[in-house]
Amino acid sequence: MAVCIAVIAKENYPLYIRSVPTQNELKFHYTVHTSLDVVEEKISAVGKAMADQRELYLGLLYPTEDYKVYLTDYISVPSPKMFRKLHNSFTDVMCNPFYNPGDTIQSKAFDGMVSAMMVQAS
Amino acid sequence: MSVPDYMQCAEDHQTVLVVVQPVGIVPEDQFFRIYKRIASVAQVSIRDSQRNLYIRYRHHYLPENNDWGDFQTHRKVVGLICVTTCGSGKEWPQTSERFHGQKEVFGATLYDSRLLVFGLQGEIAEQQRTDVAFYPSYDDCPDVEKKVEDFVESIFIVLESKRLDRATDKSGDKIPLLCVPFEKKDFVGLDTDSRHYKKRCQGRMRKHVGDLCLQAGMLQDALVHYHMAVELLRSVNDFLWLGAALEGLCSASVIFHYPGGTAGKAAGRNPSAAQGQAADAGKRHRPGALTTNGISADTSSEIGRAKNCLSPEDIIEKYKEAISYYGKYKNAGVIELEACVKAVRVLAIQKRAMEASEFLQNAVYINLGQLSEEEKIQRYSILSELYYLIGFHRKSAFFKRVAAMQCVAPTIPEPGWRACYKLLLETLPGYSLSLDPKDFSKGAHRGWAAVQMRLLHELVYASRRMGNPGLSVRHLSFLLQTMLDFLSDQEKKEVTQSLENYTSKCPGGMEVITLPDGLRLHPVPFTKLPIVRSVKLLDLPVSLRPHKQKGLMENSMSTKSPFIYSPIIMHNRGEERNKKIDFQWVQGDVCEVQLMVYNPMPFELRVENMGLLTSGVEFESLPAALSLPAESGLYPVTLVGVPRTAGNITVNGYHTSVFGVTSDCLLDSLTSVRTSGCLVEVIPSLPRLQLSTSLPRSAHPLQPSKEELSSSVSVQLFNGETQQLTITLENIGSEDLETLEITSKISNTKDGISVTGLPISSPLRQVLKPRAETRPPGSESSKTDYNHVKMLEAVMTFKYSGGAGKVEGYYRDLTLGLHVDVEPSVFFTRVSTLPATSTRQCHLLLDVFNSTEHELTVSAQNNQDLVLHASECQRMAIQVDKFDFDTLPQPDQETVRYTSLKLLEEERLHAQASMINSTLGITWDIPSVRRKGEASVEGVLNQLVLDHLQLAPLQWDVMVNGKPCDCDIIADCKVGDAVPLEVKLTNRSKNTVGPFALTVVPFQDYQNGVQNYDLQDAVTFIGSNTFYIDTVNPSEESLCLGALLFLYSGDFYLNIKFQDDSVGKEPGAGQGKELPLSWFGLPSIHIRAQEAPMEAGA
Repeated sequence: MAVCIAVIAKENYPLYIRSVPTQNELKFHYTVHTSLDVVEEKISAVGKAMADQRELYLGLLYPTEDYKVYLTDYISVPSPKMFRKLHNSFTDVMCNPFYNPGDTIQSKAFDGMVSAMMVQAS
Repeated sequence: MSVPDYMQCAEDHQTVLVVVQPVGIVPEDQFFRIYKRIASVAQVSIRDSQRNLYIRYRHHYLPENNDWGDFQTHRKVVGLICVTTCGSGKEWPQTSERFHGQKEVFGATLYDSRLLVFGLQGEIAEQQRTDVAFYPSYDDCPDVEKKVEDFVESIFIVLESKRLDRATDKSGDKIPLLCVPFEKKDFVGLDTDSRHYKKRCQGRMRKHVGDLCLQAGMLQDALVHYHMAVELLRSVNDFLWLGAALEGLCSASVIFHYPGGTAGKAAGRNPSAAQGQAADAGKRHRPGALTTNGISADTSSEIGRAKNCLSPEDIIEKYKEAISYYGKYKNAGVIELEACVKAVRVLAIQKRAMEASEFLQNAVYINLGQLSEEEKIQRYSILSELYYLIGFHRKSAFFKRVAAMQCVAPTIPEPGWRACYKLLLETLPGYSLSLDPKDFSKGAHRGWAAVQMRLLHELVYASRRMGNPGLSVRHLSFLLQTMLDFLSDQEKKEVTQSLENYTSKCPGGMEVITLPDGLRLHPVPFTKLPIVRSVKLLDLPVSLRPHKQKGLMENSMSTKSPFIYSPIIMHNRGEERNKKIDFQWVQGDVCEVQLMVYNPMPFELRVENMGLLTSGVEFESLPAALSLPAESGLYPVTLVGVPRTAGNITVNGYHTSVFGVTSDCLLDSLTSVRTSGCLVEVIPSLPRLQLSTSLPRSAHPLQPSKEELSSSVSVQLFNGETQQLTITLENIGSEDLETLEITSKISNTKDGISVTGLPISSPLRQVLKPRAETRPPGSESSKTDYNHVKMLEAVMTFKYSGGAGKVEGYYRDLTLGLHVDVEPSVFFTRVSTLPATSTRQCHLLLDVFNSTEHELTVSAQNNQDLVLHASECQRMAIQVDKFDFDTLPQPDQETVRYTSLKLLEEERLHAQASMINSTLGITWDIPSVRRKGEASVEGVLNQLVLDHLQLAPLQWDVMVNGKPCDCDIIADCKVGDAVPLEVKLTNRSKNTVGPFALTVVPFQDYQNGVQNYDLQDAVTFIGSNTFYIDTVNPSEESLCLGALLFLYSGDFYLNIKFQDDSVGKEPGAGQGKELPLSWFGLPSIHIRAQEAPMEAGA
């Protein structure tokens, strides 16, 4: 079950972050924030190897005490179905002419999508 | 073994452990001074061999850990150095006793020990003992290092002998089983003769020998032994020791591959040595490789080296394997944890962060049982450090923060707030949080606001608990300033409330706070409380604006561009700010800057002491306090100040005091502020006049507001009314008034208002006199038309200067607008003339209309008052003497030449009308409201009326019987007497007139409309009844004489008929037009002929 979904900008700050147990949101902030180290490492490692053949679904980042953190890259269509949906929704947001790239995402459609992902999985 | 040594690294496996401890009472600082000197001997080259011995010193070591010495020999305390103070010989035995006691603690494993005695002199100190060194004092011990080296060599000898002993010890003797402490009970009753057991013993011993070789500097031997041990132990599934053998293999390989060490800079192990090693790493001969020399009997050869040594990848594989084996044993947690740490350090060197993080992840979950708080802190700190080492800064920050929180855990009786604060500060980079507000001024904040905010809150709290409220204020200010967008309304309230609480004890300021560790906390100006949108320097009020004298006017036009006009506007903000504004401020006068601000807070924001920050000119800022309502829109705020010197002033920013924190907000760092320039010239001071009038001021702006007026008065007057206005000028400035120039200008009507009374006298008198409306009298309009109120406006300008400003050529203008609402009073709706009986007079008939709502009395000179009710119209007849307009002053030649004919004509008409006006002197009076004024007929006079009112240029005087005869004068004569008749013509026109012919026709008026001209029998002319008058030159006279004889008594009239004879040949050819008929207004003559005396005489 997905408990927290975050979209991170390439400058490593959250464009969107939402979690199901709202009472302990900060914990998820910490979790996602610290995961970025791994993302950074993976991306830099991949970049070194071969820029074109990036594995965009980075997969399981690592298991923490209670949760497993997965990561996907938004640049191209990722593999698992769940992430494809998320990605499509994200693409829609990006296509919104009124959306300023770099701003936090405030979209009902995206919200709904994320909620659906969390509920469906639970 | 419960306490892990987090600082361990792979190369520690080649060190021997020496414990340095104080015995008895040793001052701590002295001990550590000595300890440092001892510890500097970390590597000793052994004489006669090219091997090095590495020593690890500890001043504190749990004997419990010592028990694991067989498992990994580097854990075994092999040397003990005791440091003690001994004041006298008496104490010596006791000291010696203590030393021995200390030796007992590690007794089983010690190879050698030393005692360093400080302070003892004399007999005892003289004795030569190898295990004791005497020094007179802590400051006088030059050969400590030397002693330590000797000591190390002695350890080496023991070590080497042990190694050789064990290495060659395969001759069938029974090999003892080496155990770790928790294993001992497991092996009770085990069959010691089984092959399995033997192999186990062999394997463990091999591993042990490997350790010894490694310590003794024989790397290759160690590798071989480790390999053999792995083989042996694997076959018997002795996992714990297998793990140890694998780890040994890894350590040896790491030492081989990374001679620089894996501890990194942080560990600080003999940096010069490390560098030296690194420098010649490539061609360097490993000590263990030198088999041909010295006491080493390395079984391996050069060939075997590459084979035995693990590749960097294999090292990690083997570490993994080892750790997995350790993991099988709950009691080996410390070993496992340390192995993880060691592996991570190796991986960090290999720059394999991902794998390293896996090791660390594993390390996090190794349960070591109940840890003390201090151990927890240590553990988290080291995790943070290791994460930092592999480049996982966020993770590092996370654990550092956890460590910080651990410092102040509620279970700790004395929370270490300082340590907590210090650790928290170290986490800042990990959360990409800089405490310099400048880094936040560029655009929107992007980052992990939630976690950053949390961290800031923690910093605030920690600094407060540390007892440094100034620091908390600074952090809280920072939080408020940089995270404002992310704070909820409730949080905003809370944060500001606590900020106010803190600042009540320690007000926040603009000084840089320097922390003991050198971190500088920059001041946090509250540029968002309130947010300033624009800054605009305001010109002085109109009345105070300085103007440059025309003559002295410099070329004010910008000569920068060759173009007079260019559509390209440079949109350069920076330049715009530095642009000079094209108005001036005046020294000593209050100058204003308008800020548009808004309050982003959900509650009322009180800003105190808000003022301007300027440079260039001495400026006295007059701070303001304001209160902005919650989430206000843009609010204009005017900041004022007085420049005290002249020059160019730049407004750099503003300062505020909000929630007890003073801030200096510089515009340079506020990119969102719009400004049209911040540089303005301050000119030297000028006098300042204050104008007051006897009439109330009006807010009523003048209609055509083309110019701004300093002040204006308005007054309501009836048409023709006079109002006196006193203007008082007061110099309220500090400079003397040197010049004053007054001009007035009527702004919208040409002649609606007359301002008289100039030039100035004291007190200045101004008379305002609205004139009657110019209205063509012929146009009959409805009465309502007269009721409209007319506005008249005039502007008076007072131009003055003085003081230093005058020297620079500046002056000031004070303008006073006069606004007059003219209400109609009386109108002359129609005007006409009736000839009077005398040709020198006539009757002026005026239809007077009272357009006011009051009863009104109209009076004229020598005339009866006429009472008019509201909206009543009555005719008024005034007998007037005809006017001689020629007496009016003629315009001089100069004026005539430059003025149009039409204007001249108007001028003339105006002069005539005012002459008539003043003669008539028609006034009105409204008793009910005590108002009175003049009524002018000027506007209603038309040419016809004027002609009638004018004395004819030709003046005719008729004398009967020598008496002038005019009007109603009846000339008496006697029947039968000749009556002399004299007609005199005076030419007052400019032209020659004549010749004329005059015919006298007598008639009788029966008063019933019948006139009898048939009087041949009654009247006889003596001579001709026609007079001829020759040409009369201007201002000349001509006289004709004749006589009449009345034959009967009666009333006779003489009608003098006129004939123009000037162009006799062509009578009536246009001459009549030239000379208007009115010029020939000859008086009619009434003669009464009487007989009585004649009868008496008869």
